[in-house]
Amino acid sequence: MSTEDIAVPALEIHDLTVSYQKRPVLYGVDVTVPAGSLVGVVGPNGAGKSTLIKSVMELVQFSDGWVKVFGEDLKNNISRVGYVPQRESVDWDFPVSVIDVVLMGCYGRLGLIRRPGKEEKEKAHAALKKVGLEAYAKRQIANLSGGQQQRVFLARALAQESDLYLMDEPFAGVDAATESAIVELLREIRDQGKTLIVVHHDLGSAREYFDMMLLLNMRVVAFGKTEEVFTGDLLQQTYGGRLTVLSEIAEKFAKEQS
Amino acid sequence: MVPRIRTIIIFGVALLSVTVHEAAAARIGEIVETNPWDQIRRFITFSDRGLRLSLIGAILFGAVCGLLGSFIVVRKMALFGDAISHAVLPGVALGFLWSMSKDPVAILIGATLAGLAGSLLVGAIRRTTRIKQDAALGIVLASFFAIGLCLIRIIQNNEGASKITGLKSYLFGDVAVLDRYDVIIMGVVTISTVILFGLLYRPFLAISFDRQFAVSIGYPVRILEALFQMFLAFAIVISLQAVGVVLVSAMLITPAATAYLLVDRMHRMVWIAMGIGIVSAIIGVFLSFLGSNLPTGPFMVLSASSIFTMAYLFSPKYGRFTKWLRYRNRAKKVREENSLKSIYHVLERRGMESSGNRVLITDLSSHRKMSVTKIFKEIKNMERSGLINLEGNSVSLTDDGFEKARSVVRNHRLWELYLTNEANYASDHVHDDAEKVEHFLSEEEVSELESYLDYPQKDPHGKPIPGRASA
Amino acid sequence: MSLYQIFIEPWERHASAYWPILAMAFFVTAACGLVGNYLVLRRISLVGDAISHSVLPGIAIAFILTNSRSGPPMFIGALVAGVITTLIIEVLHSRTRIKQDAAIGITFSTMFAIGVILISLHGSHTDLDLDCVLFGKLDFLSSKEKIIMGLPGVALTMGMVALIVGCLIVLFYKELLVSSFDPNLAATIGISPRLVHYLLMCILSVVVVSAFTSVGAILVIAMLILPAATSYLLTDRLWVMMLFSLIHSFLSAIGGIHLAVAFKIPTAPATVVCGMIFFVAAWIFSPTHGLIRYWFRSRASVNGECIN
Repeated sequence: MSTEDIAVPALEIHDLTVSYQKRPVLYGVDVTVPAGSLVGVVGPNGAGKSTLIKSVMELVQFSDGWVKVFGEDLKNNISRVGYVPQRESVDWDFPVSVIDVVLMGCYGRLGLIRRPGKEEKEKAHAALKKVGLEAYAKRQIANLSGGQQQRVFLARALAQESDLYLMDEPFAGVDAATESAIVELLREIRDQGKTLIVVHHDLGSAREYFDMMLLLNMRVVAFGKTEEVFTGDLLQQTYGGRLTVLSEIAEKFAKEQS
Repeated sequence: MVPRIRTIIIFGVALLSVTVHEAAAARIGEIVETNPWDQIRRFITFSDRGLRLSLIGAILFGAVCGLLGSFIVVRKMALFGDAISHAVLPGVALGFLWSMSKDPVAILIGATLAGLAGSLLVGAIRRTTRIKQDAALGIVLASFFAIGLCLIRIIQNNEGASKITGLKSYLFGDVAVLDRYDVIIMGVVTISTVILFGLLYRPFLAISFDRQFAVSIGYPVRILEALFQMFLAFAIVISLQAVGVVLVSAMLITPAATAYLLVDRMHRMVWIAMGIGIVSAIIGVFLSFLGSNLPTGPFMVLSASSIFTMAYLFSPKYGRFTKWLRYRNRAKKVREENSLKSIYHVLERRGMESSGNRVLITDLSSHRKMSVTKIFKEIKNMERSGLINLEGNSVSLTDDGFEKARSVVRNHRLWELYLTNEANYASDHVHDDAEKVEHFLSEEEVSELESYLDYPQKDPHGKPIPGRASA
Repeated sequence: MSLYQIFIEPWERHASAYWPILAMAFFVTAACGLVGNYLVLRRISLVGDAISHSVLPGIAIAFILTNSRSGPPMFIGALVAGVITTLIIEVLHSRTRIKQDAAIGITFSTMFAIGVILISLHGSHTDLDLDCVLFGKLDFLSSKEKIIMGLPGVALTMGMVALIVGCLIVLFYKELLVSSFDPNLAATIGISPRLVHYLLMCILSVVVVSAFTSVGAILVIAMLILPAATSYLLTDRLWVMMLFSLIHSFLSAIGGIHLAVAFKIPTAPATVVCGMIFFVAAWIFSPTHGLIRYWFRSRASVNGECIN
C-alpha cells in the first residue's frame, strides 16, 4: 500500500466480519485508509458497501474484527467522523425545516441540554449556502426534491466539521448538474486535508471522481490508487459474482454462530 | 382439491349437528356449588349440559381464531387485529340498542359493520394523511372503544343495570352466558370460514406471501382482502362473548405465533394454530369453571401464552432450550477437534505423525499454552469417545482420532490456501478465520475446495496439507 | 338533549366538581399528549398501548398487597411490570422469528390477562375493579381526596407529572428531536438512541401509571395519540405541534366534561370521543393536510394529467 508520510491512518479496519440475518455481508475485510484521500467504495448490489460504512459507525454489529478511527476506538473520536446516510433512512414527513436538519450537525459538539446558538446558526447557513440551498432554509423537508434532500444531508455533514466523512450513495437520485457540484464540494473538502469514503454505484463515473478505490464484494477484492485498481481483471473479479465456495461457507458459518 | 372439500363439508356437517343438538341444552351459570373437586368431576364427566355448550363454543371459536390468526401473523397484521377487535365494541352496543335485547344476529351485524368501518377508517387515514399505520390504528382503536363505552353506559342509564349484564360479558368474556343461538351462529361462522379458506387457501397464501405477485397473476386481491377482513370481523364477533373485546386479539395472535415457532409450512401452521386455539379455549373454560364469577377471556389468553412459552423453550427447531443443546454439542465438538489437532501438530513437528505415537501431556500444555490440569480433563473426556488412548502422563491417537485430526488440519490448511489464492486475502490474515471454519466444513465442501485448488500439497505457509486416507 | 344540558348545567349543578375534574382531565391529557408526540413521530404509538395494558398486573399486585391506591407502591409495581414487558418483547423479537407486532401483541395481552385475573380474584372492590380498568375513575375524583390549593391531591400530583414531563421535553428537546428524526445520526454524534428510547419509555410508563386511576388502561392510548395526531395534521414544526397538542388536550378535557354531564356517561371516554371529534375536524379542514385540500389537489392533478 502506498501511504504518504502520514503517521496515523484515518481509518483502519481489521478482519471485519458482519452477518445480517444469518447471511454474511462482509467477510474478513481488512483495509487501511490514509488520511487526506477521497476513496470510492464500489461493488455490485449486495456487496456490503453500505454495511461497511455502517459498521465503521457501529450502526451494525459485527461478529468479528475491529475498527479504529485516527488510531482510536470510534467512541473516543466520534466527533471527528461525519456520516451521510442514504436518503431513505429517515422519515421526510417529520415536522422539521431544512435549517433544523442542518443544525443537527452541530448537536454533537454542543453536548447535552445546550441549545444551538448564533454561532451554530451561522455555520448551518454557511453549510446550506455551500450546497446551494440557502433559499430553502425555512421549508419543511418533505417539500424538497430527492436531489435537494440529498444536499441537505451533505450540508448537515459539513456543519459537523469532521475530519473523516463516510457517505452512503450521496449521488443517488441526483441530477447531473447537482452531481458534478457535489463532486466539486467533495474535492474541496479533501483539499482541506480531510478524508472521504464514498459509496458509489456507478463504475463509469467512479474512475474520474475518486483518487483511491475500494473494490468490494463481500471481501476486499482490491484497494489502492484508482489507476492501479481499475483493471479489467480486478473489476471482473469484483463484478463477476461472488465466489461460490466462500459465500456458501461463510453463510453456513454465520448460521452456526447464531 | 375435491377430497379436501369433501372432508371439510363432512367435518362441518358433523359439527353443526352436534351444535344444534347441544343448543337445546340449558345454560350453565346457575351453579351455586363451588367446591373445586366437585367442579373438576363435573367438568371431566361432561355431566353439565350447559358446560358442553360452552365447550363447543370454545372449540368453534378457538378453531376460527387459529385459522385467521395464522394469516394475520404471517402478514404482520397482529396489531391491526387488535385494533379491529376493539373497534367492534360500538357495533355491539348499537346492535343491542337496535333490538333492546341480547339478540345475537343484531349484535353480529352491528359489530361486523363497526369492525369494517374501523378498518376502512385506518386505510383512509393512512391514504389521505401523513399519519402512519401505527398511529392510525391507535386512533381507531381507542376512539371506537370509547364510543362503545359511552354507548354502553347510555344503554345502562336508560334500561337499568339488569339489561346490561349480557353486555358486560362482551368486555372480558364469560363463556357461561353463551346460549343456543350464540352457539349456532358460532357454528355457522366457523364452518363457513373453514370452507372459505379451504377453497381459497392458495390465493390467500399468495397474497400473504407476495401481494404484488398475487395482483400480477390476476387474483382479485382487493376483493379477497375485503373478504378476509369481513371474516376477521366475524371471527372477532363470535369470540367476543367468550373472550371479551379487550383480549380477543390475543386469541388471534398467540396460537398462530406458537404454530409459527413450531413449523415452517403454512398449511401445517394453520392446522396447528387451530389446534392450539381449541386447546387453550378449552383450558380457559375449565379454569374459569373452577371459580365462580370469573371472566373466561383472561384464562384462555393465559393458557395460550403458556403453550406459547413451552414452544418458545422446546420447539424442535427454534426453541431456546433446543438451540442451547445444539450450541453445547457444537462447543464440545470444537474443543475435541482442537485437542486432536494439537496432538497432531506436536507429532508433526517431530516428523512422526501417525496413530499410536505418544505425546507427553506437558508438551501439549506448552504447545497450546493451557494448564496441564485443563488439558488432562479434556483428554479424559475424549478417551471415553475412543479418539485417544491415555497412558500415564502421555497420550496417543487411536486410528479414528488420527483420521479426525488429519481432517481438521486438512480443513484448516485448505481454507487458508483458498482464502489467499482465490479470495485475495493476505496470507498473514487467514489463520484466525481458518481456526473457526475448520470445524464446520463438510465432506463435499472439502472435495469442492480440493478440486477447485487442484489438489494442492502445501498451504500458504508452506506446511503440507494432509491427504485423505481413502484417496 | 338541550343546549342547557350541554353547556350550562355542568357549571351550575356540578360546580364543586367541575374545576377539579377539568384540572385532572387536562393534566392527564396534557402529560399523555406531550409524550404522545414522540410516539407518533417515532411510529411506536402502539407501544404506548402495550405498556398501558401490561402495567396492570403490577398495579393489581401493589394494590392487593397494600390495599390502597396510593402512589409509590403502585408506581413500583407498574414499573416492574413495564420493564418485564419491555424485556420480553425485546427477547421475543430479537431471538425468535416472531415479528415485532406479534411479540407486542402476545406480551401485553398476557400481562393484561394476568392483571384482570388478579383483580377479579381479589373480588369486587370499590377502588380497583374492572370498571376502573375500562372507564377510569375521573368522576369520583373529588369525593374523598384531600384538597390542597383548591385542587384534590391526585390532580396536584398529576399536574406535577405533566409539568415534569414538559420540563424534560424542553430540556432534552434537541436530543429527542435528533434521535427521533435520524437515530443513525444521533448514534454517530454520541447521543445513544437506545438510551433516549428507554428514557422515553420510562417517562411514558410514569405518565401511563399516573393516568391509570383516572382513565383506566385502555383509553390511555387515545390520550397519547389523538392530540399528537391532530396537531401533526396542522403544522410542520415540532414545537408548534407540541403546543397544538396541549391546546387539543385542553379543549377535549372541557368538551369531555360537558359531554359527560349531558349524557350521564363517564368523563374519560367522553373526553376521548371529544378528542376524536377534534381529530376528525382537523382531518377534514386542515389547511395544509386536510381532506378537503387533498381532494382538491388530487382533482387538480387529474385535470393536469388530462391536459398533458
